[in-house]
Amino acid sequence: MAKSTSKDAQVLFHSLRSAYASTPTNLKIIDLYVGFSVFTALIQVVYMAIVGSFPFNSFLSGLLSCIGTAVLAVCLRIQVNKENKEFKDLAPERAFADFVLCNLVLHLVIMNFLG
Amino acid sequence: MSKLHLFLTLIPLLPFLCTSFSPENPSSRRVLVLFDDLALKSSHSLYFKSLQSRGFELDFKLSDDPKIGLQRYGQYLYDGLILFCPTTERFGGSIDLTAILDFVDSGHDLIVAADTNASDLIREISTECGVDFDEDPAALVTDHTKYAVSETDGDHTLLAGDDFIESNVILGSKKIEAPVLFQGIGHSLSPTNNLVLKVLSASPSAYSANPNSKLSNPPSLTGSAISLVSILQARNNARILISGSLSMFSNRFFRSGVRKAGSPTKYEKSGNEQFLTELSKWVFHERGHLKAVNVQHHKAGEANEPAMYRINDDLEYSVEIFEWSGRSWEPFVADDVQVQFYMMSPYVLKTLSTDKKGHYFTAFKVPDVYGVFQFKLEYQRLGYTSLSLSKQIPVRPYRHNEYERFIPAAYPYYGAAFSMMAGFFMFTAVHLFNK
Repeated sequence: MAKSTSKDAQVLFHSLRSAYASTPTNLKIIDLYVGFSVFTALIQVVYMAIVGSFPFNSFLSGLLSCIGTAVLAVCLRIQVNKENKEFKDLAPERAFADFVLCNLVLHLVIMNFLG
Repeated sequence: MSKLHLFLTLIPLLPFLCTSFSPENPSSRRVLVLFDDLALKSSHSLYFKSLQSRGFELDFKLSDDPKIGLQRYGQYLYDGLILFCPTTERFGGSIDLTAILDFVDSGHDLIVAADTNASDLIREISTECGVDFDEDPAALVTDHTKYAVSETDGDHTLLAGDDFIESNVILGSKKIEAPVLFQGIGHSLSPTNNLVLKVLSASPSAYSANPNSKLSNPPSLTGSAISLVSILQARNNARILISGSLSMFSNRFFRSGVRKAGSPTKYEKSGNEQFLTELSKWVFHERGHLKAVNVQHHKAGEANEPAMYRINDDLEYSVEIFEWSGRSWEPFVADDVQVQFYMMSPYVLKTLSTDKKGHYFTAFKVPDVYGVFQFKLEYQRLGYTSLSLSKQIPVRPYRHNEYERFIPAAYPYYGAAFSMMAGFFMFTAVHLFNK
């Protein structure tokens, strides 16, 4: 039974990888961007765990910028994905314009809170 | 008419008769000497000559002279008072116990000599100064092991005292080699009084009793608790000397030789003259009188005194301390003067360094606490006048623009935020131009 579970996990992993290979390039770019921002967030959390939360506002600001960009990028991916039937009538340019505007607001807030 | 003349001549003198020790005006220091027997003027002439040679103007009067007075029209006529009248019950003129105590309270100096049959008045004056004489009026201090060998005295009441207080300020820098001759009554010091000191104490084998009568019960004053000569430095720096023997000051004792019982050394001259002359120098402020002037503090690198400091400032403090030498102010040299930066408790305590010319200075960092602080300099040493200076200064916290602009510990967060912005910019470029 154990052997089959590990084999199942491997089969599952391979099928995910092959399915992922068929996604369009622009979605892959967005995924890369999300991965980058989550990775930066993790670095900041580890740093805070080591050093302590002294300028807490700076910590929150840096963390929130990473999480905020990740969330906005995920929203863009959902709205731009042609396979998503919920947003079939939404023009991808409109989605991108919303993305840019929200990012501007996000970075304005981050700069103010950074101290 | 003569009274009017006296009044008119006194008016220009009034500015000179200022309070207490004023070395700014050392031209003539007037001392009133009261006797109960005018023969004392000649029998104690050596002591008075030593005072007069140092510039004191002595005014000799009988203690019941009706014209004597310590002050007139609110101004004190004398800078010091010597009471060589142990048996006087009442003073003449306007002097009484309250007048003498007011004289001392205004900062003037006092020398009191008691002897056998000391009157209640003299005892009361001494009790007010913290010194309690033996209640038996006929008692004398007797010592059967440390007496001075003499041809006439057989009952060992003439003592050869050498238990001096250890202080160069009070007794001078030259050691007193010969013992001091003493014949009189002993006193004890009140234990709660911390201003009074024993200058010459009796040896452990001494006791105070009437030599002519048999002792029925043990004497109340015994041993080293008996003080023969004591001094008091009051909190206003007035100095008082109380001695239990008037004959100690006499020419006879000054000139006679001393041989202590049980010791073969015979000294040609007793130590009385040196001891009493040095003590009188201390009592009349010719030694050990300090003044601290010119307190300055400023931020390191600046010269003016700010109205307020900030926490974590570097500041420098300096003060000048002088000692009166009898003729002029000399720089005072010591290595234990300390300054405190005080707010309810000393946050900083530094020992001041000196340039040996009277200038004391130090530098330290203001502590990380804000509030109203004081620069406190408290200096109390045996035989010296006490210095107590304090200067208030507020200390403020940082202003909002005095903090560091960028906190080094937060550089990763700054880096993360800016990298997110850069990443966003690059992402939009890639996303737009990707088919």
